[in-house]
Amino acid sequence: MERINKIKVKILPYIGIFCFLNLWEILPRLGVVDAQFLPPFSTVCLAIQTLWQDGILYTNTIISLWRVLIGLLLAIFIAVPLGFFLEVFSPEISKRLDGLFNLLSHVNPFSLAPLFILLFGIGEKEKLAIISLSAVWPILFHTITGIRSVNPILIKTGRSMNISTGVLIKDILFPGALPIIITGIRLGVQMSMFMLIAAEMMGAGAGLGWLVHNSAMVYQIPRLYAGGVFIILLGMSLNKIILWFQTYSWFWQERTGVAEQTHIKRRHKQVSSVAVFCFMFIFSGVLFFGGNEVHKINTQVRTLPMNHDMHQHSAGMEKGAETTEPQKAYVPNFKADEDKHK
Amino acid sequence: MYRTKIILQHNLPIILFFLLWEVVANSSLVNPMLLPAFSKVIMTLGGLFYSGELLTHTLISLERALGGFVAALVIGIPLGFLMGGWFRTTQTVLAPLFDISSQVNPFILFHIIILFLGIGETAKITIIAWVCIWPIVFNTAAGVRNVDEILLKEARSFDLQRWSIFYKIILPSAARSIFTGIRISAGYSFFLLIAVEVMGADSGLGWFILYSQENYNVEAIFAGAVVIALLGVTMDAGIKYIEKKIIIWQ
Amino acid sequence: MAENTIERIEEKKDKIIAKNIRRVYQIKATENNAGHEFEAIKELNLVVKQGELLAIVGPSGCGKSTFLDMLAGLEKPTSGEIFMDDKKITGPALDRGIVLQGYALFPWRTVRKNVEFGLEIKKIPEKERYAISERYIDLVGLSKFADRYPYELSGGMKQRVAIARALAYDPDVLLMDEPFAAVDAQTRESLQEELLRIWEKTKKTIVFVTHGIDEAVFLADRVAVMTANPGTVKEIVTIDLPRPRDGIRSSAEFGWVRHKIWQLLQNDTESAVKEGIGNTDVAGSIAPTASL
Repeated sequence: MERINKIKVKILPYIGIFCFLNLWEILPRLGVVDAQFLPPFSTVCLAIQTLWQDGILYTNTIISLWRVLIGLLLAIFIAVPLGFFLEVFSPEISKRLDGLFNLLSHVNPFSLAPLFILLFGIGEKEKLAIISLSAVWPILFHTITGIRSVNPILIKTGRSMNISTGVLIKDILFPGALPIIITGIRLGVQMSMFMLIAAEMMGAGAGLGWLVHNSAMVYQIPRLYAGGVFIILLGMSLNKIILWFQTYSWFWQERTGVAEQTHIKRRHKQVSSVAVFCFMFIFSGVLFFGGNEVHKINTQVRTLPMNHDMHQHSAGMEKGAETTEPQKAYVPNFKADEDKHK
Repeated sequence: MYRTKIILQHNLPIILFFLLWEVVANSSLVNPMLLPAFSKVIMTLGGLFYSGELLTHTLISLERALGGFVAALVIGIPLGFLMGGWFRTTQTVLAPLFDISSQVNPFILFHIIILFLGIGETAKITIIAWVCIWPIVFNTAAGVRNVDEILLKEARSFDLQRWSIFYKIILPSAARSIFTGIRISAGYSFFLLIAVEVMGADSGLGWFILYSQENYNVEAIFAGAVVIALLGVTMDAGIKYIEKKIIIWQ
Repeated sequence: MAENTIERIEEKKDKIIAKNIRRVYQIKATENNAGHEFEAIKELNLVVKQGELLAIVGPSGCGKSTFLDMLAGLEKPTSGEIFMDDKKITGPALDRGIVLQGYALFPWRTVRKNVEFGLEIKKIPEKERYAISERYIDLVGLSKFADRYPYELSGGMKQRVAIARALAYDPDVLLMDEPFAAVDAQTRESLQEELLRIWEKTKKTIVFVTHGIDEAVFLADRVAVMTANPGTVKEIVTIDLPRPRDGIRSSAEFGWVRHKIWQLLQNDTESAVKEGIGNTDVAGSIAPTASL
């Protein structure tokens, strides 16, 4: 009986996904769901394989990944120092600004995006700007909250030893605020992924978002799903990596009172240097190769004439070089395309 | 007199912000195409509302957002309770599925939904509901999971029925978490609404902004953005207010 | 024996002199009240002798923690001055160490790293740091736990680490603000004995703020009794109980001194009735001769 239970426990988490995938395979084949709109899972897998072999999947994935990482790095390097600067050197001002920040956080990036695109185009720099700006808010908020959450007794202890502000930040505030800052970074990643896909759908020659949108436009549905699956995989991997980091930063929390994080396991030791090295290696790899691809794409597109297959006109890649015609094509207009496909 | 002073102090940064906006916009520092003066934006806003144009779009947008949001509430809260740890098996099976589903990028899903439902209102409301459901489910589940053990022990010692335990103990304890989820959802609903309208609609605030962009009407774009921000803030404040009224015990 | 102890203390040099300390807080105006002043400490004079263990007791809100903060340099008096070794105290420094109530250990650092914190600030090189921290961790009896993290320790152990940390950078004076208040009764007693042992070994000057009369009498050479708000030193009671003080808690002398201090504190509160009962009951029967 116990053995059965043990097996049950191990298998159960996978049953849901298993059933889901099976349904994905069976329902379209049976005709319950229109196979044109939802190709069976195996077809999608085949599409993934083809795309991978053609190298398209690799190129687009690494371009998207590159954009997210750069955007995220920018956001972190703006938001975290800003948060520390505000909270450490002028906590009263920081408190006053709470109301203003709350108001500004409700300004929808999508409402200003058209303006942004209108004036600056949607070249590489502009995409990165949109991605990083949308991630800045959660990271900034969480940095400030994190600093405020540091136990005041620790600060008092430090002060009693007459530490400099530098030591205060480095040895007390930063480690203390880190868990919450990482939560903010995780939210920032979510926002970045979000805006990345949106930005790529609006104006790019490459990237996973472009791949999905383009597939929809040329009505290559399996390709659409293939791209979609990869976007999900990308998002999930990033999330997992950051969660992994977070387990390390949480390890010192007391057992009680860490309510929402109970499902996050504790890592006792500090991060092993091997892990850090691997991570940095992969990280720089992405930055290098991704940057390479991005550069290729941007220079390539610039030289190509306006191509029906491209669907996103390249003119806007360069700052300010727009006419009214290409602008309409920037924002995917589903209505027009739908009529086309009917 | 004292109250006014406090309100003034509290909102000082916001007031300063708008003043700064006005000053910078009117100076020759910034291209008026990029940053119209705050006063002009407000005037445009007033004009648009007066003509009823903006009002129509606002209502259409609200309809869509609320539609998705309410659908998410109705489905999400019960689902959240389900995932709160009382039904072990169901939870273990569904959890990974939900984990993944919540990370599916809504824009991708939107394309897929359009394939099935076309580009009508249903598609828009569906995608908004999809995005809004997950914060509600997860926060509700977390709220249920974190009910104080001691309270539950007490309840069992009183030999309360399952339904009573739920209604009298779990619900109140989880209430705060649930409201957090609701607030996050409300924010998402608006966020996605505008995105969706910018991408594929012929009405609503998002479309309005796009339309203004095509006509180079920068003041209108800002006016629209202001309306959207205000709506967001109001919804947030409204939910906080309701929360305060309902959760009177903390 | 008693006379020796008294002489010993009076002979010792003054380590800290607090003159005419006054601390006033400005309370901002709120809806219902106009702004007003809150006098936390009024006219406090105190001398701490080198090498002694001085306890400060007083009712809640009497300002004893505020005063300790001033000794640490974390707060400034509104008027009055504090001198240590004839130098005025103007701010925090590494010549004074503080141990606070509640657990002030850096949770992301091991026990050893916590103890080394002050040494890092002093820019002491790594090898030396290790040797010094090893010594103090051993002093508080936690050698086996040197590489553990605070979340793995019990309350009593955490406070011991806090003491080790405060001592490691060799301050002249150790300031303790109700350090054993958050710990259960049994652990508290063992910590008190630990503290005395450490004090004997290191011969530091210790200023110990507490609520607990028992604790103060057990530990201290002298006890400064503060009045209720606004606080000032009402009386300084010399504890002439012999050392070592193991087992002293159940002795009659202990009870008598304890009662005396209790009375001093009680006189401050409203109940005149309690005073009446206290006087006739215990004082007369125990030690009619003592009249400090």
